[in-house]
Amino acid sequence: MISDQAKKEINTWVAKYPEGKQSSAVMQALTIVQKENGGSLTNELKQAVADYLEMPTISVQEVATFYENYNHKPVGKHVVRFCHNISCMLNGSDELISYLEEKLDVKTGEISKDGLVSVKRVECLGACVGGPMCQIGDQYYEKLTKKRIDEILDGLK
Amino acid sequence: MMVDIEIEIDGKVVHGYPGESLISIADREGIDIPRFCYHKKLSVAANCRMCLVDIEGNPTPQPACSTLSSAGMKVHTNNEKAKTAQKAVMEFLLINHPLDCPICDQGGECELQDVAMEYGSDISRFTEGKRIVDDKGIGALIQTDMTRCIHCTRCVRFGAEVAGIVEMGATGRGEDLKIEPFLSEGIQSELSGNMIDVCPVGALTSKPFRYDVRSWQMNSIQTIARHDLVGSNIFTQTHKNKVKRVVARDNESINETWISDRDRFSYQGVNNENRVLIPKIKIEGEWQDTSWDDALDFATNGIKKHAKEGSQFGTLASKNATLEELYLLQKFTRGLGSDNLDYRLDASNPNNAKVLESNISLTELETIDHALIVNSYLRLEQPMINHRIRKATLNGASVSTINAKAFDFNYRISHSVLTSPQNTVATLSGVLKALHDKSSKTLPDYLNSVTVHETHTDIANVLLNAKNPVVVLGEHMNGNTCSDQVAKLVSEIAKASDAKTINASLTGNTHSAERVNFRPDNGKNALQILSSDLTAFALFDVYPNFDCIDSKNAIEHLSRDDAFVVVMNSFDDESVSSFANVILPIASFYETSGTHINVDNIAQSYSASVKSAGESKPGWKVIKVLADLLNLQGFDFTDSSQIADEALSLTPRISEIEVPTSNSKMPNITTVWQYTPYASDVVVRHASSLQQTQIGQMSEASVCKATAKLLKLSEGDLYKGVPVNINESVAEGCVFVHTNLPRQLGVV
Amino acid sequence: MNNICLKSIDKDNPSSLATYETMGGYKVWHKILNGELSPEKILEELKISGLRGRGGAGFPTGLKWSFMPRNQEGQKYVVCNSDEGEPGTCHDRDILRFNPHSVIEGMAIAGYVMNATVGYNYIRGEFMEPYYRCEEALKEAYDAGLLGTNIKGSKVCFDLYSHLGAGAYICGEETALLESLEGKKGQPRFKPPFPANVGLYGKPTTINNTESFASVPEILSRGGQWFANLGVPNSGGTKCFSVTGNVKNPANFEIPMGTPFSDLLKLAGGLRKGRTLKGVIPGGSSTPVIPAAKAMKMTMDYDSIEKAGSMLGAGSVIVMDDTTCMVKALTRLAHFYYDESCGQCTPCREGTGWMYRVLKRIMDGQGKSEDLELLLSVQDKMLGNTICALADGAAMPIESFIRHFREEFEYYIKHGKSMVENDG
Ligand SMILES: Cc1cc2nc3c(=O)[nH]c(=O)nc-3n(C[C@H](O)[C@H](O)[C@H](O)COP(=O)(O)O)c2cc1C
Ligand code: SF4
Ligand code: SF4
Ligand code: FES
Ligand code: FES
Repeated sequence: MISDQAKKEINTWVAKYPEGKQSSAVMQALTIVQKENGGSLTNELKQAVADYLEMPTISVQEVATFYENYNHKPVGKHVVRFCHNISCMLNGSDELISYLEEKLDVKTGEISKDGLVSVKRVECLGACVGGPMCQIGDQYYEKLTKKRIDEILDGLK
Repeated sequence: MMVDIEIEIDGKVVHGYPGESLISIADREGIDIPRFCYHKKLSVAANCRMCLVDIEGNPTPQPACSTLSSAGMKVHTNNEKAKTAQKAVMEFLLINHPLDCPICDQGGECELQDVAMEYGSDISRFTEGKRIVDDKGIGALIQTDMTRCIHCTRCVRFGAEVAGIVEMGATGRGEDLKIEPFLSEGIQSELSGNMIDVCPVGALTSKPFRYDVRSWQMNSIQTIARHDLVGSNIFTQTHKNKVKRVVARDNESINETWISDRDRFSYQGVNNENRVLIPKIKIEGEWQDTSWDDALDFATNGIKKHAKEGSQFGTLASKNATLEELYLLQKFTRGLGSDNLDYRLDASNPNNAKVLESNISLTELETIDHALIVNSYLRLEQPMINHRIRKATLNGASVSTINAKAFDFNYRISHSVLTSPQNTVATLSGVLKALHDKSSKTLPDYLNSVTVHETHTDIANVLLNAKNPVVVLGEHMNGNTCSDQVAKLVSEIAKASDAKTINASLTGNTHSAERVNFRPDNGKNALQILSSDLTAFALFDVYPNFDCIDSKNAIEHLSRDDAFVVVMNSFDDESVSSFANVILPIASFYETSGTHINVDNIAQSYSASVKSAGESKPGWKVIKVLADLLNLQGFDFTDSSQIADEALSLTPRISEIEVPTSNSKMPNITTVWQYTPYASDVVVRHASSLQQTQIGQMSEASVCKATAKLLKLSEGDLYKGVPVNINESVAEGCVFVHTNLPRQLGVV
Repeated sequence: MNNICLKSIDKDNPSSLATYETMGGYKVWHKILNGELSPEKILEELKISGLRGRGGAGFPTGLKWSFMPRNQEGQKYVVCNSDEGEPGTCHDRDILRFNPHSVIEGMAIAGYVMNATVGYNYIRGEFMEPYYRCEEALKEAYDAGLLGTNIKGSKVCFDLYSHLGAGAYICGEETALLESLEGKKGQPRFKPPFPANVGLYGKPTTINNTESFASVPEILSRGGQWFANLGVPNSGGTKCFSVTGNVKNPANFEIPMGTPFSDLLKLAGGLRKGRTLKGVIPGGSSTPVIPAAKAMKMTMDYDSIEKAGSMLGAGSVIVMDDTTCMVKALTRLAHFYYDESCGQCTPCREGTGWMYRVLKRIMDGQGKSEDLELLLSVQDKMLGNTICALADGAAMPIESFIRHFREEFEYYIKHGKSMVENDG
């Protein structure tokens, strides 16, 4: 269920915590297997993480459903996480989110028809001076404009 | 008790221990503070915020459950500030809670409803639409209605802290916080029903009880649960002469505030339609319903005719019978001049006199620092004893096991030795020898040729390093033909390591049976009764196809033409009907008064909660009338308490036996046969909801690869009627059968 | 400006060890390793410096460190709170990206003072760039022998690891952060016990904010008094402020405490052409909003902002001009708390959703005349009644927005649309 590569990555996290405290690595373990699974989690994966870290499955489920960054349904190849919180809002995030939705012909929470992109409204991502901003993968895109969004979308494959 | 902090609550000077929470002091003092998440037996969560009180000097109200007392504190539980805070919390709790108490199963006994009556204010201000939670269901015992859940997390903490199986969790966050298990497979804990008791609202209720009656229509009667060695204190809740529900009754020294699922849900068995309701006699092979008088005459005449000599008569009784029943039955048997009597029906070697005492109390069990568990799946056999050991482990105690299979305990096992029945004596001898080696005592002869393995030394070491160890002996030894040696060796191990002991090998009311000497002094034991040429028998709530170790032989023997069998049973049973000559219907659990003696030797008497079903009568009355009809002396009882008094005034006999030197030869491959907890006696076998649980459905013959090969078994084959599961958790050389199926399917 | 935590921001290769060292980095650490700086002396300097926790609560850092049972046997931990998630706040991100070594050195010093040999830097899960910078910096520090066991033969030990979150604002609350670090969901613990006694894995633990740690090396290098003198009484030193919203150049500015708000506004380029100031949230979304007139008179320090009716909080100045619909702004904030409540306390779980729904209903044109009183009453019932301060943070904006901009709310309820022309 969990690939050797993923296990290796998880192990580097486990090594950071004291002996017997491997459950500290659960958030990263979920992040790693989610990435490997194309961006979302399944019950089987959560079960596998629970077994691997010797945790009760329901405890893994608690973690997986508590944190925002785990998805429990399939997502697009790229997830555009658009901040709609106050600083970004004051600089026009709502308008840009609408623009994005129109352009991709998706609503927030949905996947574009080609499966390439899904859009999610998120709370403050801690880059407020760069608002409006969004996150795609590991990358932040700040001071967004319609033109900038066009460029970014063109770059997504 | 060190009481040395003085604080003031509502102007009253009260005392507490250092570090004691305000709510605990208030509870002791009878000062009422509303609460939902606090539960005296669970960790503090302080999440419901209902217990907010005003502490002088604090700008904001503080929760009484998580605030520790400190000298001089002045607390107000119902001044303006406290009340305002409490009312605020109440309003928040109610905005998303359905207000349809009249149709809720918890209605009338709901903590939320109670507090709301007192505190609830204007609840109509919330107009935004209530939250509705879809729930997955959690099995056959607990009905969920999670829309009613107030997220107090008592059930979650119960699972993690008491049951020791983390099954329920609080998923999601904020308003989406949801109390649920991972999947809806059903809760597996043997203690799961306690979640119903801890849930303050109608989110978790009893599924078998559902829609039956309203709580206020029922009577609550104090009684004792009879399935195991603990005798948990319970209330039966009755309506129209039926037990509708069983709930726990607090008794700190026995069951604290918990009961096992078996004790909680087995009442369904009593209400099962498979009861014997009318006396029956068999004439020329045909069963006829008859009157009590005729049936009793038929029975006594038969006994007189078939047992001209007392020694031709034998009596077998259930280990779950009451003290009174067991006492009268032995008096009856011995009055007839017979010493053929026994209750140890599942022992393959009833030779083992009572060699192992239990000498540690349930509360003391919590203070042990090591437990060695021998021949037992303690968690399922004796849930409340296991619970005390689990509590000890939470305080750092370690546990090791000597078992034929690696079981699922709810604590960590530090050392585990897998041992087949035929190797158990060798293993125990090894441990004993290792203990002797360490203490350089002279070795008794019988240990001379014993080999000590490293695993034996490990077990010996932890025992010796422990300050307060206990050794627990469980059910699996009953099927062992060397059980007398096993018991003796366990007792020697305990002596050599200064350990206390718990003998959990025989469950139910066996302490009563022992107390009244319900075993032969010179006569025949259960195996002998069922294999010699006796001609008259009395069976008391015995169902040989489940209860007797060699059930096939037992049934054949009782079916002999020249055998006259008087049966006093509460349940109908096909095989019993095949051999019995007369069936006298007796009262089942909750239908008779009686006494249970528990593992701490505490005799707990109870009265009947309901009238006995149909024409059945309490067992003691039936035995008394039989005795009267046979002109036996000393049966002038009018009340069961007189019987108990007489029985308890006798001093129990204790007979030590020597360790037999001759090893009885055991086969190369043996079977351990264990019933699931919901097949352990006739009442629980008839409890339908328990049968639907995962524990109830368990039926598996586990065997390791090597042994399976020798037996030519493959996965899914039937072994003595039970599906085979090949796995490496079982000792080589044996098959571990854990099942709810009768032994009749295959002779052990 | 930008003299301490953000001082490398304009340098080439700002996050590198080399850059940090050219700016005097690890000087203090070397002094400690050479046995020239005692824990007592460090605590004294910190107390003199007036450094107050930058995470929001403003608790004196020196005092907090002195609470740790440094001589108690057993493992102790130092934890850095880099979970920056308060709307309007983003200066910790820049410290992590551009000056990670200051955080490492600050944490190492803390570990030394409190006898804690292991540290964790809890970085919010979305901060991948900062995380990579920190990891590189950690590697450099280890490679240079600045971390580890018996560092440079000094017998001092300190191991430091980065931990990544996974998206939950509440993990910024220190005890939720510890729960999260232990691999659980981030639900705050009730206090007492405080982390200094029962913290990470049940062991004594001190948690400070990124900026708090990053300030420490410079303070010890130049002296507590030097730092104190940069600021004003009761608000020592400099502080990073994120200025966002309706200003020309939103950015982070590290400026002396006590700087007039009007100066800070100028630094951020001032308002856009033709606009007037309506209100300012001075300390991040959880702090009360201040109307323009009052804001223009306040200076950026704990006392002055408090006098103006709010809190310095995390130093996140959200500027709103006359184009801002206050109903919409508040609704957005209410949604945030509704979304981020961990859900364990009844008032917060139920109250945040209630308030958001009422506001949403007003925005949808379904407002009722009694709604404002209802909102005020609900927020009042939440205040001070919960385990952590998230509920207070959800409540305070409601009260202050309605108090200062009541007519906008009443207008919206009455007309079903915003009073602000460009909106609604
Ligand atoms: C809801 C909530 C969110 C918080 N978020 C943060 C945060 O993102 N970063 C932070 O440093 N402190 C945050 N805090 C404050 C921390 O609980 C804690 O006071 C702080 O990390 C202590 O460090 P300091 O003394 O250096 O400020 C938050 C507090 C609350 C109640
Ligand atoms: S189900 Fe009952 S016990 Fe469990 S959290 Fe909900 S209200 Fe509490
Ligand atoms: S106040 Fe809110 S966020 Fe804080 S602990 Fe309570 S429910 Fe969780
Ligand atoms: S408000 Fe958008 S990043 Fe902070
Ligand atoms: S009983 Fe104290 S907060 Fe729930």
